Amino acid sequence: MKTRSIIGSVLAAVVIFQSCTKEETAVPQVTLIQSIVKDIPADTIVGLSPIGQPVGVGKFTFYSLETNAVIPNTDSNSTKWDIGLRGSTIITNGGTSGPGKGGAFIYVGTFDELTKVPADSTFRVDAAPNYAITASSNRGWYLYTPQTNLVTPLPGRVLVFKTASGKYAKVEILNYYKGGVTPAATAPDNIKIFSQRYFTFKFAYQADGTTNFK
Amino acid sequence: MKFAIQYRNLKSFLTYLFSSVLVIYSNGQLKEDSLFTQSLDNVVVTATRTPRLMGNVAIPVSVINAKTLYQSGSLRLNDILAEQTGINIVDNFGKGVQVQGLSSEYTLILVDGEPLIGRTGGVLDLSRISVRNIRKIEIVKGPSSSLYGSEAMGGVINIITDGSGINKSDFGLRYGRFNTLDGSYNFSRRVKKTDVTASVNYNRSAGYSLKPNQQQKTVEPFWKTVQQLSLNHQLSQRWKLGSGFRRNVTYIDNTIEVSNQGIAVLSKGFERNDEYNITPYLQYKGDKIKTTLRGYITGFESEQLLSVKGSADTYNDRFNQLFSRVENQTDWQIREQSAFTFGAGHIEESVASNRYDSLATKRKNSISYFFAQHEERLTRKLTAIGGFRFDANKAYASVWSPKMALQFKPDEKLSINISYGRGFKAPDFRQLYLNFTNLAAGAYSVFGSEVAAAELQRLSALQQIDQVTGVMGGLAALKPEVSGGLNLGARLKLKDGMQISANLFRNDITNMIVTDIVAFKKNGGQIYSYFNLKSALTQGLELDLDKRISRTFTLKAGYQYLYTADKDVLAQIRKGEIFQRELTSGSSVRMKTADYAGLPLRSKHSANLKLAYETATGFFATTRLFYRGRWGTFDQDGNGIINRSDEFAKGFLLVNASAGLSFRKHWKLMAGLDNLLNYKDVLNLPGTPGRVGYIDIQFNF
Repeated sequence: MKTRSIIGSVLAAVVIFQSCTKEETAVPQVTLIQSIVKDIPADTIVGLSPIGQPVGVGKFTFYSLETNAVIPNTDSNSTKWDIGLRGSTIITNGGTSGPGKGGAFIYVGTFDELTKVPADSTFRVDAAPNYAITASSNRGWYLYTPQTNLVTPLPGRVLVFKTASGKYAKVEILNYYKGGVTPAATAPDNIKIFSQRYFTFKFAYQADGTTNFK
Repeated sequence: MKFAIQYRNLKSFLTYLFSSVLVIYSNGQLKEDSLFTQSLDNVVVTATRTPRLMGNVAIPVSVINAKTLYQSGSLRLNDILAEQTGINIVDNFGKGVQVQGLSSEYTLILVDGEPLIGRTGGVLDLSRISVRNIRKIEIVKGPSSSLYGSEAMGGVINIITDGSGINKSDFGLRYGRFNTLDGSYNFSRRVKKTDVTASVNYNRSAGYSLKPNQQQKTVEPFWKTVQQLSLNHQLSQRWKLGSGFRRNVTYIDNTIEVSNQGIAVLSKGFERNDEYNITPYLQYKGDKIKTTLRGYITGFESEQLLSVKGSADTYNDRFNQLFSRVENQTDWQIREQSAFTFGAGHIEESVASNRYDSLATKRKNSISYFFAQHEERLTRKLTAIGGFRFDANKAYASVWSPKMALQFKPDEKLSINISYGRGFKAPDFRQLYLNFTNLAAGAYSVFGSEVAAAELQRLSALQQIDQVTGVMGGLAALKPEVSGGLNLGARLKLKDGMQISANLFRNDITNMIVTDIVAFKKNGGQIYSYFNLKSALTQGLELDLDKRISRTFTLKAGYQYLYTADKDVLAQIRKGEIFQRELTSGSSVRMKTADYAGLPLRSKHSANLKLAYETATGFFATTRLFYRGRWGTFDQDGNGIINRSDEFAKGFLLVNASAGLSFRKHWKLMAGLDNLLNYKDVLNLPGTPGRVGYIDIQFNF
């Protein structure tokens, strides 16, 4: 047993070594960053207004696709962030929302199908209250169903962003609720209200400035 | 059996009953030969509007007789319909019926041939109707608008009350779980040439809670009453005059707990529905011609009053509907092999509701119609029926509804039926005139097609409209929803008292009225109106088996396979335009047609098995099993359709049992237990409270 595993690890080491050397020599640096980001709170519900409306504090959560990290709210007037999330509103770092070169449009199709930003694409720029990503049910990225009081990301919608520095990224919103799980349609309203506004999304960021997502 | 035990002269009794059916419904030319007097249950009137032997009707029809009704322990119409093959009861705005995959609004419910009104959200609540004085229920599947006009798309259910005119009375009392009490008294007497039938029913329940720790019960305490009187007077040998009077009151003691954005708001109040109808007629019955002039006046008044606890807010919803109709039907027996039925009528309908504008404004519609039907026995083995109806409407487009049916009976054992008909459903008042804004949930509004344009203009003048969508341009006068229905059936009688029947059906519905967004408000709310947009299909197979195992045992089994689809969704899936989100990865993928589960609230599979034991001494016992496969409830992945495994309610099995006996000549005692397995699904089956036991006693004199 022992000898076998030793031989196995030696073999594995050789293989790893070999492949490493190959990559270093043949393949250029990987510039496409892909990641799944879970449970990003976006102005989560802190209480109810006097008329019973669920409310947050009203602040955006900023996110940098380039560094794959949340950016402090104090940096709102910088080009450190690429997208901002507040409830179902998504902003880009550009236009009326920020000092960057940001913009966005919605591509209909699957995340994997979008291998390149189509040449004829037009990036919309935020002009509050009309954002590049329309913040309204069934017109932007989500569907709100009054009967169930649930927000579900529309399947087959890829948000294509131009980042603050003018690079390209694609994002698919996977879920809007805490833990990445939409409550059952029949769940109590309390659960639906207090577990909403948590984004789970998948993204790919192209660092080399090209429109390729392959 | 219910009556047979008490009457020695069974044959003359049945002959009598049958002749009274003839008198009430029918075609003077049908002679009371031995073929017809075999059993009352074998005669059906609903399929052709003339009495026909059940085996001679080329249209899928089934009958529930009084004995089955009694032995199943059914109190309300939904109880007994839930036990029939191919019928589902859907609990939404009351207990609605689903026939051949078509929802409640597409099924016509008749009481003694006259349509019931008073629908909420298109659903006619079957629990309004007591089945304690019912002689039989006839169920015709597939479109029958050629005879009945609007709503007869999926089928027609005709409840025939006991107007037999025999000198008898019975008193029944029942007590069951949840403090359910049901009392009924039926009386009928022949005084010289006048038949008087009267019945009263009182039903109450304390309701029940399926969700603990809530002030609102799943079913609130209620009481219901039915009062019915029918008078039939033989003026002369050929002339007959009469009228029916019926009143139905439902009162629900409401406590409603609404969660307004997380805060529980408690309201108390009541809901009261009051339905009444009067059915006068004059009939002439000659040797070859029978003609009937019928009037029908019915009203439905509904009021809901709720006071919000701890505030001065009240919610008052009132809905008054009035329907009156005058109609003549003439049946002409041209020859022995051919019968011709024709008729014409006029309907005046009005609704006033504060859901629309105000109670003072009456919304009206009037319809004039005529219909004709010819039935011809072409050969000994082949019978054909052709008919049509034309409805000229004031408030929406007119409709033609043809129907054709063929029956081929190669021998005594086998019969093959094929029928095709068109059905329609008129746009209802809600779809035309609703004016509703929900401030609690997303501030959305729904406007009827006739008022939407004006409302949008009003809101636009108030600067409240953000954007008008493309569909707004398509806003037009609504057309009736229409369907084409094909039924292909066969019935085979085997030796040893076994019968198998199968029916293949397909319904194609077009011009379906659905809501669509016409505009967005500046506050983010959406404005909906109604459009003739959707097309759908339902198709399937119904199988029934009936077998007498021994002198005392009978077995019945039924199964329905159902496939439904929104045709536009289906086309979009084929083009790859619809996506779904995978449950585990959360990623979107393009949908395949196999992933699409069709229209919500439809079960692909449903089945039943009923075993009955009965002795000649009046003892009986039944065990009935009902299976309903999973059905789609709500979309969970944002594509608006049913496709993912978490979008279904679980399939379930219900087992009901009952047993009873007759004693001391006048008495009948029975006890039953529904839902033996105590199955519950709090969220999807609010009408199934778990095991329910009851005891029932009847006194006949």
